[in-house]
Amino acid sequence: MDGRLDLRSVAGANPGAGSGFKRAGIVLGVAGVMAVMVTLVANIVTGNLVNDPHGAITVGKGSAWAFGLTITGFGALKIGIALILMGILVTLWERIGAIKTALPSLMGVGDAGTPVAPGEFESPYGRATVAQDEPDELLIHRMARTLWLPMLAMGAMALLAGFVVSLVWSDRVAGDPLQAAHLSAVAQGLQFAGEGFLLSGVSFLLGTILGSLRKGGAEVQKHLGVPINTLRMPVSAKLFVGLMVAGLMVEIGQLIAYFAVATFDNPVSIASYFAWLGPVREFGLGLLLSGIVLALATIAKALGFQFHRLSEVVVHGS
Amino acid sequence: MRMTSKRSSDYAIEVGVLAPDRNLPQKAGRKIWLPMLVLALIAFPVAVVLAAVRSNEIATAGSEQTIASLGHLVPAVMFIGFASVFAAVSFAIARILGEFRVGGGKLQESSGTQVRTLKMPATAKAFLALMMMAMMALVGAVVLHFIIAEAISNGSTYSLGHSEQWSIWLEGVRRTGVAVYLAAISLGLATVIEVLNFQITRVQELPQEKPKAAVS
Repeated sequence: MDGRLDLRSVAGANPGAGSGFKRAGIVLGVAGVMAVMVTLVANIVTGNLVNDPHGAITVGKGSAWAFGLTITGFGALKIGIALILMGILVTLWERIGAIKTALPSLMGVGDAGTPVAPGEFESPYGRATVAQDEPDELLIHRMARTLWLPMLAMGAMALLAGFVVSLVWSDRVAGDPLQAAHLSAVAQGLQFAGEGFLLSGVSFLLGTILGSLRKGGAEVQKHLGVPINTLRMPVSAKLFVGLMVAGLMVEIGQLIAYFAVATFDNPVSIASYFAWLGPVREFGLGLLLSGIVLALATIAKALGFQFHRLSEVVVHGS
Repeated sequence: MRMTSKRSSDYAIEVGVLAPDRNLPQKAGRKIWLPMLVLALIAFPVAVVLAAVRSNEIATAGSEQTIASLGHLVPAVMFIGFASVFAAVSFAIARILGEFRVGGGKLQESSGTQVRTLKMPATAKAFLALMMMAMMALVGAVVLHFIIAEAISNGSTYSLGHSEQWSIWLEGVRRTGVAVYLAAISLGLATVIEVLNFQITRVQELPQEKPKAAVS
């Protein structure tokens, strides 16, 4: 990597590396599913003991470690998805290299080289700009390229820390129920903050893919000597950023709230806070996932625009 | 740039002269991703409001029946949201795959070459199968939560007595559904890499195939 974290150098130095990322991502995903399947069995067993007068401790212990393992399994799946997205980035840059090589001999006879006045026009995929030079990188794309790895690293650390706390929580269920409740709050807060960071890392990777599509598309057009058409940031991309930031804020907020609950002494207050904090932390993840949907929809739109432009260059030569 | 020794004919492909249309899942993806997202964005805040009501019932020593009933309603509504948002993610990936299929075909058609299109890879088939399984698990859990909440609200002492047991069982089912959905999404994204690799191979072949008359 050249420090730019767009994985372009990997594409140049190690052709076909994208498939390696894909395999690694799928293996990690399978491990994640297996971890969650283990907790499904644990839930079935502990569920059978709920109405057993001697089963309360076993249920408490089982619920504690099953929670920790489940969320860790989800984390493994999300890191697997991140690895596959890294593979997509690498392969996208390889594709740009292949198009740069092939397209000059495919360009049709047209008005190539004719100066086009810079400005905007309405493309079938939304507003787009025309320029002679490559557009500057957008701030959000720079941020995405810089932040995806730190976010994934913080997410993995928070998840693992939360998993360790969940094991301690399971251990304290029998001896000290209040301490177990405090540890439960810390484990839940840490693990869901970890999930939030991981989904933010995935979101930033999607942002980096969007940045690569923009930069790569402009590079290809410059290489061919045709006016550089670039799609303006669609509304879906703006909403994606808003939802991602909102989701991350909710996850950080729930972490703070859970840490506050870990100082409570009244079991009723703890139960009351747990009742709304659980759905709130899931709401945060829901916002992050909604942002991811919009990022994917934006990628689809950018790809459509790119293919449209490439076909235009092949047919008309400009 | 990679100069692959692989040829497009080494892949399982369809050959034609015109760009193909989107396949059925891709057409569905184009139409359904947004309604699914909207449904999710409605369900999430509703679940949070219901959770706030339940929290207040607990804090004020409210009725056990109400607390237990809301204990099933909250995850039911929340997981309508998750089932919808994961469906939206899956359909958005299908939409991306559709852009590759149609766009790649149009580029070849514009170049005056044979239009070669990758047949649905095994990862894409597994993506669809896992997505359906995950959706069934989540929707099944949601339906059961609603049935139990309704039974508790109607005064069933049996349902009230077994409420926690059902909560633990259904939690396991929901979590498994989410894990399978995430695995499906991984496979959907893995398909994107396969399609990109095919396109790299194919685009390198186009200059040799381009009809000479069109070049001049």
